[in-house]
This record gives sequence, C-alpha cells and structure tokens, in this order.
Amino acid sequence: MAKIAQKLVHFCTQKPKLIYGLVLVLALIFTAQIPRIQIDTDPENMLDAEHPARLFHNEVKKAFSMYDAIVVGVVDGQNEEDEELQKGVFTAKSLTDIYDITESILAIEGVVSADVMSISTVDNISQSAPGTISFEWMMNSPPTTDAQAQDIRNKLARLPLLQETLASQNGKAAAIYVPIYDKNESYNIAEQIRAEIAGLDGSAQWYITGLPVAEDQFGVEMFIQMGISAPLAGLTIFILLFLFFRNIPLIVAPMIVAMATVMITMGALIGAGFTVHIMSSMIAIFLMPIAVVDSVHILSEFSDRYKPGENLQSVIEEVVGHLFTPMLYTSITSSVGFYSLMLTPIPPVQIFGAFVGSGIILAFLITITFMPAYLSRMNQANLEKLQQVMHSENGGSKIAVFAKGLGRFALNNRILLLASFSAIFAVSVWGINQIQINDNPVRWFKQDHEIRVADTVLNNNFAGTYDAYIVLSNQNKFPQTSLLLEEAPESLNTWSASFIEENQSLSLNEQYQNLIIAIEDKLFDDINASEEAYLYKLLETVESQLSASKVFQSPELLAYISKLQTHLNSSGLVGKSNSLADVTKVVNRELRSGQQEDYQIPDSPQGVAQTLMQYQSSHRPDDLWHFVTPDYQKTLIWLQLTSGDNQDMTKVIESVNSFTQSNPLPENLELGWAGKAYLNVVWQDNMVAGMLDSLISAFVIVFIMMIVLFRSFVFGILAMLPLTLTITFIYGLIGIIGKDYDMPIAVLSALTLGLSVDFAIHFLERARETYQKTKDIKQTFDIMFDEPATAITRNALVIALGFTPLLFAPLVPYITVGVFLASIMAISALVTLLILPSVMTLAKRLVFGKSA
Amino acid sequence: MLKLFPRVTLGLCCLGLISAAHAEIDVNDLVKESEKVAYYSGDDGRSDARMMIVDSQGRKQMRQFTILRKDVTDNGDQQMMVFFSRPSDVKDTVFRVEKHASLDQDDDRWLYLPALDLVKRISAGDKRTSFVGSHFFYEDVSGRAITEDSFVLEQETDTQYILKATPKKPDSVEFDYYRVSIDKTSKLPVLIDFFKGENDNYRRVEAVQIEEIQGFPTVVRSKVSDLTSGAYTLMEFRNISYDIGLDSDVFSERSLRNPPRQWLD
Repeated sequence: MAKIAQKLVHFCTQKPKLIYGLVLVLALIFTAQIPRIQIDTDPENMLDAEHPARLFHNEVKKAFSMYDAIVVGVVDGQNEEDEELQKGVFTAKSLTDIYDITESILAIEGVVSADVMSISTVDNISQSAPGTISFEWMMNSPPTTDAQAQDIRNKLARLPLLQETLASQNGKAAAIYVPIYDKNESYNIAEQIRAEIAGLDGSAQWYITGLPVAEDQFGVEMFIQMGISAPLAGLTIFILLFLFFRNIPLIVAPMIVAMATVMITMGALIGAGFTVHIMSSMIAIFLMPIAVVDSVHILSEFSDRYKPGENLQSVIEEVVGHLFTPMLYTSITSSVGFYSLMLTPIPPVQIFGAFVGSGIILAFLITITFMPAYLSRMNQANLEKLQQVMHSENGGSKIAVFAKGLGRFALNNRILLLASFSAIFAVSVWGINQIQINDNPVRWFKQDHEIRVADTVLNNNFAGTYDAYIVLSNQNKFPQTSLLLEEAPESLNTWSASFIEENQSLSLNEQYQNLIIAIEDKLFDDINASEEAYLYKLLETVESQLSASKVFQSPELLAYISKLQTHLNSSGLVGKSNSLADVTKVVNRELRSGQQEDYQIPDSPQGVAQTLMQYQSSHRPDDLWHFVTPDYQKTLIWLQLTSGDNQDMTKVIESVNSFTQSNPLPENLELGWAGKAYLNVVWQDNMVAGMLDSLISAFVIVFIMMIVLFRSFVFGILAMLPLTLTITFIYGLIGIIGKDYDMPIAVLSALTLGLSVDFAIHFLERARETYQKTKDIKQTFDIMFDEPATAITRNALVIALGFTPLLFAPLVPYITVGVFLASIMAISALVTLLILPSVMTLAKRLVFGKSA
Repeated sequence: MLKLFPRVTLGLCCLGLISAAHAEIDVNDLVKESEKVAYYSGDDGRSDARMMIVDSQGRKQMRQFTILRKDVTDNGDQQMMVFFSRPSDVKDTVFRVEKHASLDQDDDRWLYLPALDLVKRISAGDKRTSFVGSHFFYEDVSGRAITEDSFVLEQETDTQYILKATPKKPDSVEFDYYRVSIDKTSKLPVLIDFFKGENDNYRRVEAVQIEEIQGFPTVVRSKVSDLTSGAYTLMEFRNISYDIGLDSDVFSERSLRNPPRQWLD
C-alpha cells in the first residue's frame, strides 16, 4: 500500500500539469450538470415512493378526491380595545373583502375551484320556514350591513362542519381553503393571492399558510441557503487557513481541493438524476470543511519539515507518504459514518449519506494527487516566505501555545479528568433517556417567519390546519356478479357470459348497478316465463346486494364513528373531527325540526341514504365524496389538529388505539391512517429506528477498522473512547435541555462518529510512532503536544468553524446542524487531547507494552 | 312530454337588437316554440328515466325514477311528479313540483322521504342546486322561467339557430351567459353551453339522441357535462308516452305517500 502511494505521489510531483488537467476536466464535466438541478421540498419524499403508508395516503387522497390546499386566513379585531373594532371579521366590510378575495381565487389558474371552501362558496342548509328545507349559498353576495354579516355568523355556527373550520368560534377570524391541482404551483398561486390581498384597505390581517406553500417557500430558501452558506463556509475556511499559514499561494491548494470535491459530487448527484432535497442541499457545506482537513495535515507537516535548500520533491514524498495511512483511514472512517446513513430507510438521507461518503473518498484522492502536484510547483520565494512565518514564531503561534497548555493540563490532572469524564458520561447516559423524539416541518422555519406566524395565528383561532385522516374500509367480500349469475337457466347462458366478460374488471358496486341495468334491458326482450321469473328474482337479489354493499349507510357504523369522534374530541388532542356521521346528523336535523334534539342519525340505512341524497341536492353535491366513496365501502374521518408535532399526532393515534381496544371495530372493518401529519410520524419512526441501526453499524465498523489499523485491540478501544464520550455527551445534553430529537439531530449521530474519530487516529498513530522512536512516555507526550496536537487543533477549528456559516441560514434545520457539528467537532478534539494522554499514561503498560 | 332538458327560456328578447339580416326570424316566437317543443309536448306525459352520474374518476352512480307531467297551459304552469325507484335505498322518494311560469311566482316544491316518513317543502330560493347529486340542476327539471334571460340570435346555420342568452338577474345564477343551439326542423334545443367570464365554457347540456314519439320530437338521451372536471351525467328515457290522461289527483300531496302505481310500473 505504502509503495503504491509512494509511486503515486512521485508520479504526481513529476507530472503536475497532467494532474491539473485531470482535475480541471473532471470538475468541468460534473459542474456542467449542475444547471439541471431539481429541488424537492416535499416532506412526503422522506418516505420511499413505494412505502405502504405513502401508497395508502395517495390512494386515500384519490378515493376521496382530495388535493393539497393553501390556507388563507383573515383575522380582525383580535387585540382591539375599541368595541367597534372588536366585531371581528363578521362585518359588512370584512365579509365583502372575503367575498372579493374568494372571487379572485376562483379565477386563478390551477385552483380546484369546485372544492374551494370559503364563506361565499359553501351552502347553508337550514329551515327557511317551519316545514321547509332550504339549500342556499351561505353568502351569495357581500352583505351590506353588519347585521347581515352577523346573520351569516349565526348560520355558520349552526353547521358543525363549517364552524371552526371556516369561521372561528369567537368570530374574529375566517379562513379560505384553496385546493390546488399541482402543489408545485403553490408559490405562484400564493403570490397571486397576496397581490389581491395587497389591494384591500380594511383593518384585517391576512395570512397564507398550508403545507404546499410551506414546501415551496422552503425550496426558495434552500436555494438561498446553498447560495449563501456554502460560499460563506468556503470563505471562513480560507480565512482560517490564512491565519494558520499566512501564505495565500499555499492555501489556494486546499481551497481547490474543496471546490473540486464539492462541484464533482454535486454534479454527480444532479447528473445521476437525483433531486436536491433538504438533506442533499447540505452536501456542499459538509464536504467543504471535510475536504480540506487532509490538506491541512499535509500543509502542517510540510511547513514543519521543509527547510530551505532541501529537496522539495523528497520532502513532499516523505510528508505525503508518512500521512498516507492515517489520511486513508480517517477518510474511510468518515465515509463509513456517512455511508451508514444508507441503512436509514429514508431516501433523502440515504442519498445524502451515499454522496457525502463518496465525496470524502474523492476528496482524499484529489488531496493525495493534487497536493503533491501543487506543492512541487511552488516557487522558491513562496517557500521561503512560508518558512519565515512558520519558524519565526518558533512554536509561539497561539494555537501551538494552546495545544501545549492543554498537554500540561491533561498530564497534570489525569485522575481529575478521568473522574470528571466518567461523571459526565454517567449524567449523559441519563440525559439520553430523557430525549424527546419530535419533529414538525413547519418548525423548520424560524419563529418569526411569515409561515410560522400564519401557522400560529390560524391554529389559535381555528380547530387546526394540520390534517390527519382515519379511514375505515369494509373488508367484507360481497359476491361477484358471476356468482349471482351461476344459477341462470341455460337459455340465458350467452347473455350472462357476455355480461360477466364485459363487467368482471369493474368494481363490485358498478357490476351490481350494471347487472340491474342488464336485467331490466333483458326483461324488455322476447323472453319466456321461466326466464322472466328467474330475472325478476335475480333483480331482487342484486338490488339487495347493492344495498348491503353500501356498508357506510348503516346507522350502527355511523354511530360507532360518532362515538369515536366524541372520544377524540373529549381527549383534547384533536381540534375538531368531521365525518359522514356529522353530515348525516346536520341534514337530518334540518329535514326534521331544525332543533338540537334531531341532531341524530336516522334509524335505517334507507333513512341515511335518503338524508344523504338531500345533502347532495346542494350547490356542492360532490362534498359528500370527501367523506365516503360512492360505493359506500370506505369512509373518512377528517381530524383537524392545531399542532403538526409528531408527538401530538402520536398521542392521537394512541388515543384511537385505546378507543378501539375498549370498543372493538365492527366486524369486517379495517382502520387505516392517512394525512400529512400521520406520514410525518411514519417517517420519523423510520428515522429513529434507522438511525440507531446506522449508529451501531458505523460504531462497529469503525471499531473494527481501528483494531485493524493499529493491529491492537487496546488501541481500537482508545480510538473509540473520545468519540463515544463526545456523542454521549452531546445527545445527553439534547435530552437534558429538552431540545427535540428531530431529523437533523438524528442524522448527525452516525456521521459525527466517522468524523470525530479522525482526531484520535492522528493522535494515536503519532503517539505510537513517537514512542517507538523515543521509548519514553514523558518525552513522547511532550512531542505530541507540539506539532501533532497543533495540527489536530487546527483541523478541529477548520471543521468546527467551517460549519458556522450554517448559523446564518434562514431555516432551522441548517442552524441546528451548524451548531451541533461545530460543537461536536470542537468537543471531540478537546476530549481527544484531554482523555487520551490521561488514559494512555495511566494504563501505560497496557498501551505501550510491559517495558513502558 | 317533459324532457328533463334545460328549458330554453326565451325572454322578451330585445327585438330591436335583432339585426336586419335575421329580420325574417322572430326570436321571441322561436324561443317560445322551442320551449313548447322541449317542455310542453301533448297535454301530459310519462317517462321512465335512468340517470348515470359519472364522476371525474369514472365512478358511477345510478338513479332511476319515473316522471309524470301535466300542463296547466302550454308555455305556462305545469304539474310534475318524480318517483324514485332505484337504488332501492331511496325507493319511493318523491318530488312534487308545481311550476309557475310567471316571473313573480316561484315554483312550489315538495319532497317525500319514505324512510324518514317525512313530507318537506323545499324552499323557493335557489333552483340551481344539484338534482339528487347529478350534474342536472333542479331548474333543469322544473324549467328555467321564460322571462329570466334576454336572447340574441347570434348565428344561423343550415340546421340550427344559435342564440346567446344573458340572465336578467346575474346575481341569481352562476353563469354569465349561455349559448343555445336550436334545431331548425324539430325546434328542440340540442346544445347549451354555459359560460363564466368572457369565454370560460364550464358546463354543457346536450341532446344526445332524439326520437319522434307520437309525433313529438323527443330527447331520449341527454347529457350534462362539467367541462372543468370531466364529470358528467347521462340520462336515458324510455316508456315515453304523451296524452295519457293523467288526472289532477295524481299530482296532489296525497300521491307523495301513496304513489299512483298504475302510472309507475
């Protein structure tokens, strides 16, 4: 291995221009792919496209004709002292504005206008006079007086399906739900709505939210993030390197390595047809600092070893050859950390892990080829300048002083340090058990972000803008029409065979309906008496099967749904729930007395069917199909939640589970979940389980690698010690301070393992090498806290500070990643330099052999 | 015979607007005649109707009912009963309509729901709501009042007159105008396109098949389409007969609970 490396380095110093050319060509080819970038901000993609939960969710959306919706909210008089202004939105002025905005929304291309829910697009069902039922537009034209506006408020309050969904209980707020065909158009459509709102002159506050808008907005800000944070990271690293080496020509080299790595990796990702998701948008900022660390090691050692007049080539070859193995191992361990993310069943995380992992290997390859080539072409003047800077300070640089001080401290307080670390470790383990797993894509925006503000306001006023759906499906198999036709008289065989052939691929509901039609048509034909008798009997059978198959017309099942809703509503976990049972009760009430006593489910399936047929006699007949499929085999309970936190959604699921335990689901029914709030729980669960797999496997692989690298079990354990302490400490801290364990934090666990082991590898490798030369422990550590500790500290600073530009990102996950990576890197370097000397000297016989 | 076909309500069209080129056509007479052919064939009539409601995903729902109709006067008041037979869970549901041609008088509508044993009056108000979940409106069943729109003859082809109708009370309807094609021979309206704004054609009513029954040109298949979603409702008529001598009793409130079986089966 070392021989190949030597030859490679030799070749590179001989043919620098060829290496330059190669790197340039590769960079250009892959960079050319970048303009084909496709941004993906859909949290649904956290699940594989074929994931059962996602497939079910999409089936449900289709079966119940649902679209992603933008939510427009308007609030007035929320904080006003003046009584006049406390009227809220139910004034002639505000309702006129709502009317006008709704009209313009309906005219926007891409809006599912038939399904827009606004005060002016829904129906009021009421008793216009005793004994008279009326379906009329809730607000056919804007009210001219405030009294009319109040009247609309009162009408809404009578309709449980609309109250707290379109109008807030306190009358201060109203909402418009704008379903859209293509969620990629949501930003566009939201902008058009904003433009209309800007033209209003009322006192009301308008808000726009809803997941599609949030997602689109996220995409826009992701671009900003990539455009700002990645170059900023580059700049930070450049400044740091300059402070370290004070030599611009010298530090241009690592920058080129970093740039080439980032460009080629991103180009490969985009060129391979992957979309850039929130995770992959961070690839650049991850690779940048990691890509330069190997170069920093080379530069550190090169500037240390090279003395004026020496043979430049042989120094380069010596330095690179010397660092080759530790660099290779640190690169492999780092990439193992990232590759382990591929064990997590979340596609964006897998892609991120794969490409950063490969990017690290690429950075290693570029480093060991390009750096020698570049250094070999450095001119004499620059080399001399480097010497002046490095050697004039005589180890007096601040970092070197710090490293030395750290060494003294570590060696003088060995017992204290060990005790402290043990105590911290114990507390951290306890802290990890306090970790709260929770996430919510809306919280990816900062607290004061427009989307967060809208989210808070709307969820304070309404039953909730987060949707989850409970779907009950009938599993009972009704007989196929072919079965019903089995007893047909022989003379009708041709007829029945052709019916079966034409209809067997249809849904059972349609088969029954078509069979009824076919029988009726046949009865018109010239048929004999026995055929006629058979057909009439068959007609009766099919009709009763058709009725029986419409299971959700059953009053018992609707009563079960009602009971479940009552349970959920009283749990306080759900803002509101809406179901077929509610629809039935409202229409039944208005068909009868209009009084609360008739807010009941009719007592027969026919009663339900006839009630629902009246509901369909409105301006919006298809609203019924959001709650039940036309074959009445599936029904949907729409839960509105005021929080999109996974924890809250999980509690709802648990509450439903406890309900079905004490109230078993009626026979042949199956309960399923859909809705974005639910999907978030699914991928979060996947992530937690997957991350644990990643972490454990990364730990095991890195541990084995360490044993192989050092050919020593003891050194393997030593290498794992600092990172174990660091990761335990960080996650313990997360548990103790109560920060939610969310997606970015989960992702960090496995990958930091691969990164933070680097410090230990360099430290242990050099310590062992030095001990072999000196055969003296004290002397070994004196040397260790000279150049090697300085290089480790430099690298820790490069990586830690390299991630800090993420702190300026507009989106929370990036900030979280920045803070945690920076602290993990800084802490693990510190822990390495403090704990390893203590342990190694206290257990010197175990570490360095009996002679020590 | 009642064709359950949107009545072309040919208002007191501004005769002055008719251009000289069409001077030989009296639009007023044309629409009146068309209305008579579409809604007032014979003195009374019956028909079995089968409706297939097809949503934008192609999912189907069937409804079957029998319509009985009796004219009080041609182009004037009318009595009408709709008796549901399928699906069996809505069997014996009945609509009763007393149509009043005068603009000042709203139609009277009642509803009988057998499973709830309930007779209910349906509020006069808006008639452009869905007829039992289909793409037909109530108004398509009972007929849009003749005086509600203003008509202009836009075009005359070899076979059709094409008229543009604008509502006199735009607030009471969801469309801005509609365009109706009247067959020159039968005088039946064969195509009506409804528009929002300048030219957003969102709804279409068409006669798919016309047959002559007892000498009356009769629409036996018609279709209403929601052009935005692609959903539609197809209606087929059979067992059509005119001038069968329906008694006024048939159209009384009593018939809601006690359907006149002899005319239904």
